[in-house]
Parts: sequence; C-alpha cells; structure tokens
Amino acid sequence: MKRVLTTCEFCGCGCNFYLGVEDGKVVAIYPSVSHPISQGRLCIKGWQGHEYIHSPERLTTPLIKKGNRFREASWDEAYELIVDKFNQIRTRYGNDSIAVFSSAKCTNEENYLMQKFARACLGTNNVDHCARLCHASTVVGLATTFGSGAMTNSINEIAGAEVIFIIGSNTTEQHPLIGDRVLRAIEKGAKVIVADPRETQLAKLCSLYLMHKPGSDVALLNGMMNAIIAEGLEDKEFIAERTEGFESLKETVADYTPEKSSAITSVPEEKIVEAARIYSRSKKSIIIYSMGITQHTTGVDNVMTTANLAMLTGNVGKEFTGVDPLRGQNNVQGACDVGALPNVFSGYQAVTDEKLRNKFEKAWKVTLPPQPGLTLVEMLNSALEGSLRAMYIMGENPMVSDPDINHVEKSLKALDFLVVQDIFLTETATLADVVLPGVSFAEKDGTFTSTERRIQRVRKAIEPLGDSKPDWKIITELSSRLGYRMDYSSPAEIMDEIAKLTPIYGGVSYSRLESFGLQWPCPSPDHPGTPYLHKGSFTRGLGKFSPADYKTPAELPSHDYPFVLTTGRVGFHYHTGTMTRKDWALEREYPTGYVEVNSQDAKQLGIKNGQTAKVISRRGEISLSLKSVDTIAKGVVFIPFHFAEAAANKLTAANLDPVAKIPEYKVCAVRLEKG
Amino acid sequence: MKILSKSNLVPFLEGLGLEFKVNAPLYEGQDVLFGDLDSSKLATDFIGKPRLSPKEYSFPQRERLFTFKNNGGVEIEAHLNETKRVIWGIRPCDLYGLKFLDMVYLSDYVDPYYQARRSNTILLGLNCNKAEESCFCSSIGTGPFAREAFDLLFTDLGDVFLVEIGSKAGKKLIEKQANLFTNATSKDEKQAGILEEKSKKTFKTYIDLGKVEAKIAGASSSPVWAEEAAKCILCGGCNWVCPTCYCFNIEDVTSGDKTQRVRYWDSCQLGGFTQMAAMNSRATQAERLRQRIYHKFSYNPDKYGGEIGCTGCGRCIDVCPAGINIAYILRRVAN
Repeated sequence: MKRVLTTCEFCGCGCNFYLGVEDGKVVAIYPSVSHPISQGRLCIKGWQGHEYIHSPERLTTPLIKKGNRFREASWDEAYELIVDKFNQIRTRYGNDSIAVFSSAKCTNEENYLMQKFARACLGTNNVDHCARLCHASTVVGLATTFGSGAMTNSINEIAGAEVIFIIGSNTTEQHPLIGDRVLRAIEKGAKVIVADPRETQLAKLCSLYLMHKPGSDVALLNGMMNAIIAEGLEDKEFIAERTEGFESLKETVADYTPEKSSAITSVPEEKIVEAARIYSRSKKSIIIYSMGITQHTTGVDNVMTTANLAMLTGNVGKEFTGVDPLRGQNNVQGACDVGALPNVFSGYQAVTDEKLRNKFEKAWKVTLPPQPGLTLVEMLNSALEGSLRAMYIMGENPMVSDPDINHVEKSLKALDFLVVQDIFLTETATLADVVLPGVSFAEKDGTFTSTERRIQRVRKAIEPLGDSKPDWKIITELSSRLGYRMDYSSPAEIMDEIAKLTPIYGGVSYSRLESFGLQWPCPSPDHPGTPYLHKGSFTRGLGKFSPADYKTPAELPSHDYPFVLTTGRVGFHYHTGTMTRKDWALEREYPTGYVEVNSQDAKQLGIKNGQTAKVISRRGEISLSLKSVDTIAKGVVFIPFHFAEAAANKLTAANLDPVAKIPEYKVCAVRLEKG
Repeated sequence: MKILSKSNLVPFLEGLGLEFKVNAPLYEGQDVLFGDLDSSKLATDFIGKPRLSPKEYSFPQRERLFTFKNNGGVEIEAHLNETKRVIWGIRPCDLYGLKFLDMVYLSDYVDPYYQARRSNTILLGLNCNKAEESCFCSSIGTGPFAREAFDLLFTDLGDVFLVEIGSKAGKKLIEKQANLFTNATSKDEKQAGILEEKSKKTFKTYIDLGKVEAKIAGASSSPVWAEEAAKCILCGGCNWVCPTCYCFNIEDVTSGDKTQRVRYWDSCQLGGFTQMAAMNSRATQAERLRQRIYHKFSYNPDKYGGEIGCTGCGRCIDVCPAGINIAYILRRVAN
C-alpha cells in the first residue's frame, strides 16, 4: 500500500493524514501523529468522509448541454465552445459582462490562477468566492481594527488559555480539532464562556452560558465592555500604548448598561457582568468566533466589536490571547490570501492602488482593470438585471449554498452562458451550458491555508479519474486558448510566482513546506513564519477601536412570520453535501434535513417530534422533519443548510452587510405549519 | 531461543521478502506506520505503538468482498486475499488483538475473507522495553512482553535481538536463513527478564483489572457514563484505532452492470450504527459509551472464556479529541 501525506479537504483546522492507496484507489486513512494540529486525531469527516473520491457519480468527461440534456464532449470541443461564447460576449457587452466564482475547496495555486484568469485574461475584477458568504465581514472588520483580517493566534494556543470566550461558533461540531483544544483547556481548569442562541455541546460543558438572541451580538459585547469600564477592569496601559479611539468607544458603550444590553439580548444582567469580569480579569483570554458573528447585516460591526473587546482588555498581540475567527472551508483563508476577491490581488493588495496594480501589470505583462469588481451576491443580481452575461463557476454550488435560492436560480438562468467546473453534477452544474470535470484533492498537488494561516501541502495520491483534469491545469489551458498564455509545469511553479508578488507569502516555497507548512506572514526565505500576529504593534500600527451601535437584523419576526430562522451545519456534513452525502457513514447519520424547534413552541404548533413541518418565509417554503428540543430559545428555529431537497436557503434572504456584502444567513423570519 | 544481530535484521526481512510480502513499522517523517518493507524507513527503536494496529492486514478499513453482476443468472466473483505475508514489529498488545479477532472471526462462524488473509499471515512480535503514557497492557496482562500469539518474538537487547520461537511456521523462517542467527545463552534470556521488569516500571497508566471485573456488572448506573459521553464529538476514533473492534458495515457500490460488495469498519459510538436492523438500540451517547466498555470488559469475557476485549494499548486514549480516557473510566468503575 502506498501512503501519501496530505491535508484534509474539509474544514479550516488543517489536519494532516496519510491516504492509503491500493490499486489506484484511496482505501485507508492514517492520521498524522506528529502533525501539530491533528496529533493523531481526526473528526468523523477526516476518518470517514472520503468515499466520494471514487463515487460512480464523479464527472469524468466534459459535458455540453444540448436542448435540456447533456452530452459527453471532448476537451477540445468544450474549450472551443467556451472560447467562442466568452469572446462573443466580451465583444458585445465588454469585459465586465463576465464573472468568475473561485473556490475555497480548491488549492491556493488554483485560486491564484483563477483571479489571474479573471483579471489578466478576461480583463475584469469580477472574481469572488464563498468567503463572501462566511467571513467577508472578518476580512473587513479585523483589517479595520488590527490591519489584518485573519485569525490572530494559533490553534495550539487555545489549549493554553485561561479564558475562552466563544461567540457564534459550534466549535466541537464545526472545527472538531479546535474543539479538542477547548476541551483540553477545560480539563486544565480554563473558564469557557459560550454565547450562542443554541445550547451547543460546549454550552453544556462551559463555565458560563449566555443564550442571546440571534443578531444581538453587538448589544451583548457592548454590554460587557460597559461593565468592564464601569468596574475599571480595562487594560489602561495597553489602551494608551497600543490603541487609538478609546474615547469614542467609551462614549458608545456608555449607553449599553447591563440593563439595556439584557433587554436587547435576553441574557440576564448578572450573566453579562459575570462574563465581562471573567474575560477581562485574565491576561490569557481568547475570543473564538465564527459564522454566528459574521453572517449578519451587521457582520462587520460584530467583528469590530469583538476586536474592541480584546483591545480593551489587552488580550491581543500576545500568546494565548487574540481574536480567532474560525475559517470554515479547508482553503477559504488561502483563497482570500491569493486574491480570489474583487477588490484585491494576492496578499490583500488593492486593485485600486496604482503602484500595486503596476507591479502586477509588469509581472503579468498585461493592462489590468483599476476598479473593484462585483461581489458574489452582486454578481447574481447583475445577472438578473442583464449587465452580467456569462459566469465561470469553479467548485461552488450556489444553488444550495447561497441565500434565496429561487433568486439564484432565476439569475443563473438569465445568463447567456454558464460554465461550471466541479467533480459532481451539482444542482448548479445542471444549469450550466458546459460542465468541466475537475478533480478531488487526492488527485492533485497544491497547498491549502488553514484557519491559523498555516500554508500546507496537498499531495497527489491517485491519478485523475477518467478524462478529468486538475483544476489548475484546466484554467491554464482555457486561458491560453483565450489568448492569454499560462505556462506552468507544476503547482510549485505557481507558488513561486505567488511568493514573488505577495509579501505575506514571500518566503514560501514547496521545499519549505515539507514539514507541516508555514504560518504567514512569512515575508522572506529565511523567515520562520508567524504563530501569532500583532506582537509589539498592530499590522496597521495602532489598534483602532471601532465602536458600533446595535442595529436590528434586516428582517424581524412579524405577525405572519413569527419565528426567527437561523441556519447552520451539522458535524457530519460539509456545505452542500456534494461530497459528504456520498459517504455511507456520514449519510447514515444525517440522511436529510430537519428543523430544530423549542419543545414548547412545537407543542403550541401542534407538531410532534419527527412529524413533517412546512417552513415558510417571504421567499419560499420547504417541508422537513421537526426536531423538538430544549436547546434553542423560544421563538427561534434552526435548519442545517446541507440538504438540497430541504434547502434552508430557499428561505433565507439576501440582505447584505453594507460594507462586506455578506448575507444575513443567521436571521430571517419564517412561520411553521403542519406539513 | 536465538540471537539476531541488529545489522542482520534488514537482511533477514529482505530474505523473507523473496517468499512473502513483508510489513513492518516504518518512519514516515516523524510518524510510525505499518507499511510495506522499506529498509531505509524501518523503525526498530520506536517507543509505543503506531496509531493503527496491524489489524488491517487481516481486517482492512475498506475491503472489497465480492463483485456480482446480473447476466441472466447472477455471476459472483469473490475477492479472497491470500497474499503470503509476514508482519514484523508487532507489539504484544497487538498480538493479543489478533488472537482476539481470531476468536471472533475463526470460531463459531468462520469469515472466509478474514480467514484467507489471516491464515496466510505470519506474526513476528517485538517486545516493548518502554511504555508510552497511555499504555496499560501491564494491567491487562497482555504486555509489555508477550507470552503467546506470535510465530517469532523479538526482544531488543541493545546490539542484538533475542528471538523466541512460537510456532513451526516461525521456526521455519529461522531455518531458511539459519546463517543469520546464533544460539542464545542463558545470559541473554536473563537480560531479557531484567528488561521486562524495567519496562514494567515505565508504565504511567494503571487499572485494577480484578476490581473492574468484580464491579463492572454493578456499574451500569454510574454517573461516569453520562459525564464522559457529554464530551464525545462522535469521531469514532476509539473504534477505528482499536485492535479488537470487529464491527463492520457493508455497502453495495454499483457502477455500470457490476456491483461490488464492500465491507467497512463501523463504530458503535455513532447514532446510525446497526441501523440496518432498524436503529441503534442505545439511544444516548452515555449508553453507547457504556456499551463500548461493557462489550470489552463484560460481554466479551462472558462469550470467549474470560478473554478480555481490550489489549491495554491505550490507542483510544491517544486518539480521542474529547479526552475520554478508558483507564479513567475503569478506575471509576472499580471504585
């Protein structure tokens, strides 16, 4: 049996395991014991989630739509059709009439090429990916306050913290090996505070649980800061030396007395004060957050407010402290890092900055567009309006993952031409004019960057199935045929180009990644990488307090839609389930969706546990089985979004944060009826 | 008893390679994993155990059992793996694990797939001169030095290995390469005895097996089950790494006109376990955790003449992201 060490393809923890290969097939998994994060451990997806690689449903040849059906096609035919259509559309409607969805599932090298393809080959900055839907608010919020939009500290520091404040993260289910560190910290006596509208596993194991209302995060955090300042628990020295804007913060939070904060959040006053004391009294306090913070119309405000709290107490810029947004996808950090975003090149270098743009123009030998492109949800809106005519989607499934799917479907159908590159004929791919078969992580080389900024190798273990090709290869071939030559012999060569143009990746090369990678910033070949950020001074110099007032979510419960729907995930599935739902063990645990309802609400509705409920919003309705629980607040219901046949996103609204343009997946109004 | 100098280990194993597929612990970077013999990576001085036991050479993580297709009648092709195999470097805990699996798969009902692999496999053990933190085989009685279930047993005496013969098959392996071996002296055997005593002193994890056996039946309502199960993150790791866990699920994978029946390791900690028989009869995680421990320390001994379904390897402790520790649970049960 051949064994190939690689990085897990599911979440942002970045675990490493060996793929056991026999007769060209992946047949076994061995967690790496010496890897700093996995340490010989994995979650169920890491152990069991790879059966999809050899699924008979894998795409193994390009497909071209004829009428309503697909026919198999050669690569030449598929490329020629795409080149013809793209050229026609560009000539008629201009470069910005085409947009590209890149993929947080794909490698850094592929994401880098995809944004280069959009910018250098198509001449548009219309490139985005699903980071828009999960942590766009983090990228903006932490860049504003700290100067860098990434997890400040390292995963292993969590086990050494004295206080861990988890807000809007179901850590043991969604980042299991980070959950492992939280559990280790608890074992060692750390105090854990959990704030979540759902009583998660950690909420049951923590020292203090705050069940706050969905969307009331700013009010809760401001209330804590009010109590900290009232009791003189702020770190005056840190505030004086390392930050600016404290007076405006003080002024804003003065209004959020525990009483007011409690009225907005539903959390008892004394718990708000207790949380404030626990968090501020330790000098080893870590904040962990995830999509409970980011996926709101106030996402940026939420993120900045967590940063304010950390700065107020001096819990940032040191080991065992920090603000730790947990990135969801295996490579969503990397896809952002290498510029699969409409406003920045790799390394968060703004496309509007002439000097930086000139650097890329020189390297890429082409003139580049100076205006930022469209964000993901804006692309779909533009498609419906008619200004966007074609899209090229790689490894994303917006027909399940994006808010308000009925709208997504109309938008994609309104396009003149849609290309989808994936490993399965997803709900999105079925709408395409041309489908290109990419490959799984087991069939290609590359790198993923984990949530702790760790750039790690992905190693090819098996040959691509059928006629499928590594995604990076497809992008280079298509680009060359469209007249912008891309010649790379390997992903290592692409990384060399990334390193040359991207200061935070400047010292990265494949030879340096052999032993479990490097954490950026790593500006030069002799730089050891950076376990935690903002040591001594913030990336932007002084940390900037950025106070925000509480704003209500965009869609509130009403007479006709009396419940708040909040969406999320289960630990056994990944995103739209295209991979995990093909695995016997994972599918057996959760074969389909469900709606979680407070038992008292369920009783009032007259719907019993296990019975079918119809959930209706202003945008759509779905039917699914009701789960009656005591672990969710009254008036709030929860639906995991993995399941296309009961798609939570038929209900959600595309209400966006005004700056980060992230949709509010965590709050919309619904009603429930007996199904 | 024989002596093999350390410099002759690779020639011996490579010699075996002419007739057998040889598997051994290998260094992959800093990890130790069982693999196909590669003398440049051979791990002889590792402490403790590879994360997965060599169980998978007899009972793989994923095994194609047979392929069938409908061509008027049903045509079936079985995939029995009869590779002639020698595994070197098996720890005493893992030797016991294989002995236990043999009882399960080769007694009342003989599993032909397991039998095909196992009956063609020769087991060469390697005693442990030092325990890892999680090891508790000395409490179970399966180690640190093996007493049974090997064809040959190696003890590291420093420059040489003392080699004990456990079966005719083992003896034959030595005879074929007799020039590599010399006879052991009583001094060598005495040294091995001293090393065993020294090794026993390196254990940090203990349980009182007698007390566990006496008290386990009465511990079913202990709060320990719910307390520990509350932390479980449902990874199944304790089952995947266990050298004695033998539960599996089967799946039919159809591609074109052919269907493969595939067997996978399964986990009793998952809610969907035994769903093919309607449901997991243990509704809560506490009951599932209790079942895992009871199965090993109560039901198995009842069924297999007192043989315990735990090897004391401690892998389930090391692999658990929630810090659920079988030794801690057993100590609670015993008290």
